[in-house]
Amino acid sequence: MQFLQALVDGVLIGGVYGVISIGLSLVFGVMNIVNFAHAAFLMLGMFVAWFAWHYLGLDPLLGAFLSFAVIFVFGCGVQRTLIRPILKAPQVAQIFLTVGILIVLENAALLVFGADFRSVQTPYQTSAFDIGGIIVSKPYLYAFAMALLSGAAVWAFLERTPIGRAMRATSQDPMAATLMGIDTNLMHMTAFGIGVGLTAFGGAVILPYLTASPTVGAHYVVLMFTAVVLGGLGSVAGAVVGGVAVGIIQSLSTLVFPIQLQNLILFVVFILVLALRPEGIVKRRAA
Amino acid sequence: MAAASRTEASRRPDWRALALAAAFVAAIAVPLFLDPQGYWIRILTLALIFAALGQAWNIVGGLANQISLGHAAYFGTGAYASTVLLIHFGLSPWIGMVAGMALAVVIALVLSVPTFRLKGHYFALATLAAGEAMRVIANSWKEVTGGPVGLSVPFTPEDSFWLMAYGAPRPFYWIALGALAVITVVFWRIKSGALGYRLRAVKENEEAAEVVGVNTFRAKLWASLISAAATAAMGTIYVQFNYFFDPDTVFGVASISIRMALVAIVGGIGTVIGPIVGALVVIPLEEVASAALQGQAAGLSAFAYGAILIAIILIEPRGLVALWQRLRGRMSRRAP
Repeated sequence: MQFLQALVDGVLIGGVYGVISIGLSLVFGVMNIVNFAHAAFLMLGMFVAWFAWHYLGLDPLLGAFLSFAVIFVFGCGVQRTLIRPILKAPQVAQIFLTVGILIVLENAALLVFGADFRSVQTPYQTSAFDIGGIIVSKPYLYAFAMALLSGAAVWAFLERTPIGRAMRATSQDPMAATLMGIDTNLMHMTAFGIGVGLTAFGGAVILPYLTASPTVGAHYVVLMFTAVVLGGLGSVAGAVVGGVAVGIIQSLSTLVFPIQLQNLILFVVFILVLALRPEGIVKRRAA
Repeated sequence: MAAASRTEASRRPDWRALALAAAFVAAIAVPLFLDPQGYWIRILTLALIFAALGQAWNIVGGLANQISLGHAAYFGTGAYASTVLLIHFGLSPWIGMVAGMALAVVIALVLSVPTFRLKGHYFALATLAAGEAMRVIANSWKEVTGGPVGLSVPFTPEDSFWLMAYGAPRPFYWIALGALAVITVVFWRIKSGALGYRLRAVKENEEAAEVVGVNTFRAKLWASLISAAATAAMGTIYVQFNYFFDPDTVFGVASISIRMALVAIVGGIGTVIGPIVGALVVIPLEEVASAALQGQAAGLSAFAYGAILIAIILIEPRGLVALWQRLRGRMSRRAP
């Protein structure tokens, strides 16, 4: 029973991990950049939703759409001004540019919002469904449902719309895409905007059971990287599967190990996955 | 043609070595002109420590282009090894330093197995996770590390070289300067020696290097073992200088891993003077900014730090040394 409970919790939390990781995978897939600042956009999304709740009384589950919109626009701006110039630069420049963005965003949030932890109150916050002895927390369930919805929306966007098709073409072969009349710069910018917008969306839907603070992103950095590497960097559906896997690993590990070691298990899994599956990752990049 | 370029190459470093040696001698005298308890001697000592760390990072990051974001794993190991041995067994930090270096070498060996097959972003991610894993271990292994509370270096009433304990920062300045000199010479020897050529082959094209018979795994292993040992030694010196530390400072991603790399990148990645120039610019800038802004607004100095990093990469990704050469080149071209 305890095992089943941990499994359910793991799946529910993991679904959200999946959605916040999609953007990381998408950005890598389309422009071959690992965005180390990705978690900072999650944090910004949480703040947008918190302010929407505080001043407009908007439930974070709805505020999530606002978070997506605001961070989408912001992300497009960041891509246009900072990321585009280094797309062809050496990897060391790419890595440290996004690390720089992470530091700037985190501390800008600290300057503007202060170090306080901010939480929201919702009517369903502490309630849960009891299904045959398994407790399904309502905020977990709602966040999970919203996460899956947004994940499905992105998938449909990429698979079914002309822009989505152009974006996939850009990721497969930028040169050929340009020859076919696709504005690859525009695709890069849109992909980055959608990627960070989606993680902001994920940040908003978890607000009912978490608190927002400028450093909240730090908890998610390795989580997200583990999720995308598990699922294969560059793959959208893989990120969701990877996210759920991470949630389950995290939740089940607390049954065996003390909670402080929860992240250690994850780091070990992460390094092992990286070490054992680089062929799969390289193959994807070459394709 | 090859012979000509080689004689030129061997003549030029000689000249630079002389200049660097002269700078070293001048640097020895600097503390005599500064207030021994003052603010600047502390900042300069810290800058020297980070110059040495940047130089250690440069061995793998600069020469082989293996971008490590987890060097704090070695730094913290050096910090904890010497302090734990000092607290429990009264062992001199110099001996503890050697123990820490040995332990760091073991950790680097273990990490080499899963990480050396990875390239670029993947290597950076794996090393990032390795550093974080060490931080989690230090935070939860309370019996040895003191957990999140941290450790203090035991107080010694009298100055002692054997216990690396001094009431004033001045002796630490010289210790850090000596360490920087040693690591710089090591870096230089590696760079101009056979290992340096192999590492550069790894950097340019690993598969091609393998094909022409370079054992890239062994080259990377030697570089990272030397780099790990040097980083651990600096960890010991840093905590003796700073007295107090906790897992989040010595195993921190931003506080150690990124800062080490940043110092090398800002100055000029893969160059001998890069980390030294970088540290002398970045560390005082950070310290002065945080002192000037203290209490006014949390995060402002870190914000500036990130902004400078972004600006340097956008303006000249090869660092200040390259920027200087570019500007000088432009000026000499303009001159009649």
